[in-house]
Amino acid sequence: MLSPIYLVPRQQAPLWMRAATFVGGIALGLLIAFGILIAYGVSAGQIVNEFIVYVFLDLNGLAQVVTASTPLVFVGLAAAAALKLKFWNIGVEGQMWLGCIAATGVALFDIGPEFFRLPLMFIAAAIAGACWIGIPAFLKLRFRVNEIITSLLLTYVAYQLVQHLLFGPWHDPGSAFPNSRHYDEGIERLARLGWGSSHTGIWIALGAGALLWFTMARSRLGFYMDAIGANVEAARAAGIPVVLTTAFAAAMSGGLAGVAGAGLAAGQEYRMTLFIAGGYTFSGIVIAFIGRFRPVPVIITAFVVGGVYTAGDTLKVFYQLPAAITTLIEAVILLTFVVVEFFSRYRLSWGVREHA
Amino acid sequence: MSHALKIAGASKAFDGRPALRRASFACDWGEVHALLGENGAGKSTLMNVACGLYAPDEGTIAVDGQPAAITAPADAARLGIGMVHQHYKLVKRFTVAENIVLACRSALGVRRPRDAAEAVASKAAEVGFDIDPDAVVGDLSIAEQQRVEILKVLLLGARILILDEPTSVLTDQESVAALSFMRRLAEDGHAVVLITHKLREVIGYSSRVTVMRGGETVLAGAETAGMDAETLARTMVGEEGEMAERHARTLGEVRLRVEELSVRGAGGIGVEDVGFAVRGGEIYGIAGVGGNGQQELADALTGLRPPARGRIAIDDDEMAGRDVPAFRRRGMRAVPADRFRTGLLAELAVYENHGVTGVPAGEYGNPALVRRGAMKAAAAGAIDAYNIQGAAPATLSRLLSGGNAQKLLLARELRGEASVLIAHSPTRGLDVSACRTVHDLLQGAADAGTACVLISEDLEEVLSLSTTIAVISRGRLVGEFAAGEVSRAEIGRLMLGHA
Repeated sequence: MLSPIYLVPRQQAPLWMRAATFVGGIALGLLIAFGILIAYGVSAGQIVNEFIVYVFLDLNGLAQVVTASTPLVFVGLAAAAALKLKFWNIGVEGQMWLGCIAATGVALFDIGPEFFRLPLMFIAAAIAGACWIGIPAFLKLRFRVNEIITSLLLTYVAYQLVQHLLFGPWHDPGSAFPNSRHYDEGIERLARLGWGSSHTGIWIALGAGALLWFTMARSRLGFYMDAIGANVEAARAAGIPVVLTTAFAAAMSGGLAGVAGAGLAAGQEYRMTLFIAGGYTFSGIVIAFIGRFRPVPVIITAFVVGGVYTAGDTLKVFYQLPAAITTLIEAVILLTFVVVEFFSRYRLSWGVREHA
Repeated sequence: MSHALKIAGASKAFDGRPALRRASFACDWGEVHALLGENGAGKSTLMNVACGLYAPDEGTIAVDGQPAAITAPADAARLGIGMVHQHYKLVKRFTVAENIVLACRSALGVRRPRDAAEAVASKAAEVGFDIDPDAVVGDLSIAEQQRVEILKVLLLGARILILDEPTSVLTDQESVAALSFMRRLAEDGHAVVLITHKLREVIGYSSRVTVMRGGETVLAGAETAGMDAETLARTMVGEEGEMAERHARTLGEVRLRVEELSVRGAGGIGVEDVGFAVRGGEIYGIAGVGGNGQQELADALTGLRPPARGRIAIDDDEMAGRDVPAFRRRGMRAVPADRFRTGLLAELAVYENHGVTGVPAGEYGNPALVRRGAMKAAAAGAIDAYNIQGAAPATLSRLLSGGNAQKLLLARELRGEASVLIAHSPTRGLDVSACRTVHDLLQGAADAGTACVLISEDLEEVLSLSTTIAVISRGRLVGEFAAGEVSRAEIGRLMLGHA
């Protein structure tokens, strides 16, 4: 007969162990993903080239990683702000679309003075994203409607709205494709860093990360978020305003997602297109989970995933790998991370049962 | 004739806290044997030992006169021991037959629900149950679900049937039917163990009774015939023990006044038309068997659950319908029954748990920022003052033992000025020394002029601490006495609905 194996909870994990779990989980995930690529016929040497040399050891590659990571930092932070207190924002893309619409609106109709146009675009985007998540947040807090369903479905509503605008009133007459007019140069576009395609959006992203870190670590709101995330019933019994805090956190989440949308439009596309927000909900949740909803590891994870995006683009083009390869690698890293994380909380014990 | 089931000298401790102390039990074939005791007396633990769910620290088990090694539920099933637990283990979306196949595949020798339906139907007919094997379990009444559980156990070949509080969720008529069925099983030669705390069932349906108290067997297999409720109640709750010191206190003004309070129940019994007043310095004890509306009452008094009707006034301010922050601003403090569900944030540090009620009240910083340093310093002071062992401010609170977790909770709740303290089962699961500490802290709070409400299933605790004692039964207060003016047996009878 097989001897039983028991899971024994570990005591408090020290910081070094949590850091090792984080790095080890990502590294192991990448290794498994490389195994899958090798099975696809990409040689080990080519993988090293594409994933390390051309991505992280090459200045142009690194610039691409920074560009790819900019929206990922935003969506990772957005997902983390809500997931921290177990509010499942599955509508990050929808809020990105709304942010994109708001920013484009400000740009197309030249609202506000020119020197303030760009900040206004981002402020409008944040408000629009926050309002879009406000609908599921209100329905959840007032009528206990499941926010997973409503936030997800509102994504499709947002996309319909974008299609309506791009095929209709906001369609650029000079283009055969469903795009808006270009944003005005020097006024409505984020400045380049003079390094590949990278742009100042990364500074906004890192600034948002710092702000979220400060909120979570130092502010009363962050303390409330900690408490609600740990145990919502005990938090309510302790007198914490659960509804208000959840609403604030959801608004931060939606606002960050909205800014992500505006950043993609103003930093890379310089107009609204039909392809700006695609796929970012999934990436945001992956990044937030691996970063354990903490801003600093979330930002680091966003850069790793940005590297995977960059390498994935090359793999698609030069090795004829399917487009899903990036998502596949992300998923493998997430799954590995979840397993590694589990074993940092529990250890296996063979032999005699330890009675509780 | 040898005993059907005999347990001797069984001891079992959880986390160093004894649940069984050399408990013994013996029942015979062909009898309904009642196992009586208060909540926490060790009845369920003892029977879980018999059916292989717990391994005893010491003690022996014999089935039909043969020593039995029971280390897993499968061993118990092989020996013909089957238990129907208080919480049914049924898959609600499956049919009756599917549920039975899930549990008894090898015993029935079938794999598919279709093949089992016939066996289920014939067994049901044999014992006189009217059950459709194709009915979905979720559509059945609680009583019918119980019959499915019983069928499951019988089909597994059980000849010794243990039923844990089988009537606690049934209506009176359903209870009579279920108990009569148990009598029939016994007449067929089964041994039936009826775990209960209802005297009526013991007297009406069992032939012998074993009584447990505090993990020990205090009455072993006495004939039920000729026993009266009074004797049983006294055996169950014990003789007047030595009382903890109750100080004489000068009582102040009424600080908590409850009038005509009704609270809707969460699935079970709610609170019906309850009224009482508690003065500063008073400990108002509410005794009762668990599940008689205590949770709903505590929730209403702490602002967690809005009452359906009635008034709650703290220091003459009307509070009914207001939220927890409002209650806490008026000085309400609470020790909830389940300290890790509604009391502490298990995954956060000790200092965060100590500070969590202070932050919304404006302590430790300002509305924008929190000062975690100040929170840690305050927690370090509380760890010393309350002697919370194994804790530093940064320790995760889930790593604390039950007693130390409760001390942390009390340290937080007794911080600053408290007008009203609602303590619900504050010593549940604690060892003797931690109990003492908690009792001292409660008395200390009363000494400081707080109006304390002590809701507890532990009669000893209520009697020894309270200045006024009330009894809750089926959501109503069924008696109110000044301390010393009521006998333990009287309270016991009221608790059990034998007014």
